[in-house]
Amino acid sequence: MVAREQFAWVWLLTMLVTYPVYFAAVALAGETAFGTQILMFAVTAIVQVVVIGVASAVIGLRHKNNLSGDERDRAIAHRASALAYNILMAGIVLVGCAMPFGHVEWELFHAAVFVIALAEIVRHALIVAMYRGGLRQPQPERGWHG
Amino acid sequence: MAERRLSNTIRTLRFMAGEMTQAELGERIGVTRQTIAAIEAGKYSPTLEAAFRIAEVFGKPLEEVFQWGISSTLDK
Repeated sequence: MVAREQFAWVWLLTMLVTYPVYFAAVALAGETAFGTQILMFAVTAIVQVVVIGVASAVIGLRHKNNLSGDERDRAIAHRASALAYNILMAGIVLVGCAMPFGHVEWELFHAAVFVIALAEIVRHALIVAMYRGGLRQPQPERGWHG
Repeated sequence: MAERRLSNTIRTLRFMAGEMTQAELGERIGVTRQTIAAIEAGKYSPTLEAAFRIAEVFGKPLEEVFQWGISSTLDK
């Protein structure tokens, strides 16, 4: 397994564990002070940074000669980012344009976090799927190469 | 419309080149072993530059390494 795929797995699994816990905590907390809401996010983000940081250091040591990746790594990253960008844009438009009318500020905050987390989960899931070869071979008209 | 896809003879050419490993070929053209495996399996279409480099390693013209045709005739 190449380093980039291992990074993607770490990101994906970390986000799949931390963010559901975060949103469950947010839902259970209900309408609390904005500071409490921020604190919950801060704890989630710190856990994520620590786990990903440690895992990245381990992966980096194991693949120190091949961290930059090759053309396939870049093509996969590019394709996954392009697809996840659509989710991010749609979500941010919804949060930024529709939600301000009738929602309080912490709801907007958590909705924005949700959209960003979702886009990141989709991006890393796509990266893993493309490395695993789960996607159908692209048709020439769609042109999938570096 | 018939589905056309890129196929290749890299596996055969590696065998004819003294059972060259995927890792060795990857090292010579500047990609990982996994990328060579993906190209051989038809899961990734290399850039034109990488395709030319692969052909250069085997000393063959590009069309002997990569073929562009109907998938049913290529998936033998």
